[in-house]
Amino acid sequence: MSARDEVLQESETYDAATVERRASRRDRWLTSTTFLALFALWFAVTGSGLWQPLIRPIFLPSPGAVLQAFLSLAQHGYQGNSLWHHIGVSFYRFAVAFSACVVIGVPLGLLIGANRTVRALLEPPIQAIRPIPKLALLPLFLIWFGIGNTSKIIIIAAPVFPLMVIAAMQAVRSVSDKKIQAAQSLGASRWTVFSRVILPACLPGIFTGIRMSISIGVTMLVAAELTATSDGIAWMSLTAAEFLSTDVVLVGVVIMAVMGFGLDRAIRALELRIVHWSGRD
Amino acid sequence: MSIEPIDLNSPERRRDAKLMIEGLSKTYGGGADAVQALPPIDLCIGLGDFLCVVGPSGCGKSTLLNIVAGFEPPTSGRAVLDGRVITRPGAERGVVFQQGALFNWLTTLENVAFGPRARGIPAAEARTSAQEMLEMVGLGSFAQKYPYQLSGGMQQRVGIARALVNNPEVLLMDEPFAALDQQTRELLQEEVRRIWQETGKTVMWITHSIEEALFLATHIIVMSARPGRIKAAYRSHFSENPDPLVGATAEFTAARREIVGLLREESQKARLQEELA
Repeated sequence: MSARDEVLQESETYDAATVERRASRRDRWLTSTTFLALFALWFAVTGSGLWQPLIRPIFLPSPGAVLQAFLSLAQHGYQGNSLWHHIGVSFYRFAVAFSACVVIGVPLGLLIGANRTVRALLEPPIQAIRPIPKLALLPLFLIWFGIGNTSKIIIIAAPVFPLMVIAAMQAVRSVSDKKIQAAQSLGASRWTVFSRVILPACLPGIFTGIRMSISIGVTMLVAAELTATSDGIAWMSLTAAEFLSTDVVLVGVVIMAVMGFGLDRAIRALELRIVHWSGRD
Repeated sequence: MSIEPIDLNSPERRRDAKLMIEGLSKTYGGGADAVQALPPIDLCIGLGDFLCVVGPSGCGKSTLLNIVAGFEPPTSGRAVLDGRVITRPGAERGVVFQQGALFNWLTTLENVAFGPRARGIPAAEARTSAQEMLEMVGLGSFAQKYPYQLSGGMQQRVGIARALVNNPEVLLMDEPFAALDQQTRELLQEEVRRIWQETGKTVMWITHSIEEALFLATHIIVMSARPGRIKAAYRSHFSENPDPLVGATAEFTAARREIVGLLREESQKARLQEELA
């Protein structure tokens, strides 16, 4: 390659990178515009004390009122517990359920995907329980596991677990035969093929499964705190609604949204670090 | 002319065979839906032979390689390497695929070190021989890159290094250069010729490119349309010619014409079969 070619090639890659950087900066601008517009709309229709609200505060409080409710909750707590206690207890329920699903569901899914016998034994029952609406099981769970945290953790885990198993199982099935054959003809044992080829090849699919389950998990948190509890962030929103304290309801909703969004971002960051090769076959 | 017909199953070849294929056939499915991919074929490959298998698409040449690699069992017959019947994949048979068989989660060096590590060689030693092998295929400075950071040609070099580092008895290559552009392919063909001359490996190489076969092979078999019988077998001398421009000689053109003629008949048959089906 001549010196001129090298320069040319370098300037080309430089250009491609610059173009991509500019495009993504533009994307970020557009995204923030959407958020700003939505916020402005919220601000406008509620009046925010500056003009007559289009929607009465009891239906939709202004951004300022929600912020005020948040500050007041942060200072005085809600129904005898601090706001941090409510957030903490919800996070605890969610985190225990979610980690249990990952720690048990993913290996189980890998096993089902990789082993024919285990597949025949376990896949049909898991596919059979998947379409059951888990909310319908809530009363049963309360009877079986009591009104403590156990029943709440189980109701959150109930829909997440089969999803995790199936995501891992599908990931195993979509590993390319060629990669497995390549490993076998390099002298790899069954265990080496599994641990050093199938497992890493499955990681992108597993991460996708985890990220897709987060929103379902957060939804089930609301179900979990629907009855038989006196703390938790979803419980706070639900009880506040009974008193038409829409501002408190919204504080709870925003906190849950931030929780779900934050978790998704955190796992996405982990994904980019660990499965850097994803989608670049 | 620098190719001549040869009987690949002569008594001498059978006596000296490194890899022997005996009555090997493959039929997929059963009953009325059965499709014969490979009729029973016999073939002897000697130590240090570079055998190219050319044939029309769907003639079963990849099936043949898959059976020798141990990826699928034959319906009848057997493949025997050094007196042992092949039943499963093994490190003594290195395989290079067309593309997509590298491990994207491992660096180039780790990809090449995979075989030695899998065979229980200590990490440090495996890395040293992997690095040496990468130098041999001209990728010494790309050891820490991931496969997706390399061009298609470089990825195939990694694939070749990964198979060679295990020092296999036979190298099985399934159209390794089919997805590459012409320039890269020619460059890599010269490299393969050099590596083959240095290592003296026994090679079974599947290709649909007649030029590639003439340029690389010591032996060429031409397969017929499905089910792929061995239509002709040749001893070829072009690979012994050190001139990289051997492809421009009159002998090469004549040899090419002969095989093209055979293949054209077969492609027409294959098309006719498809139209009738």
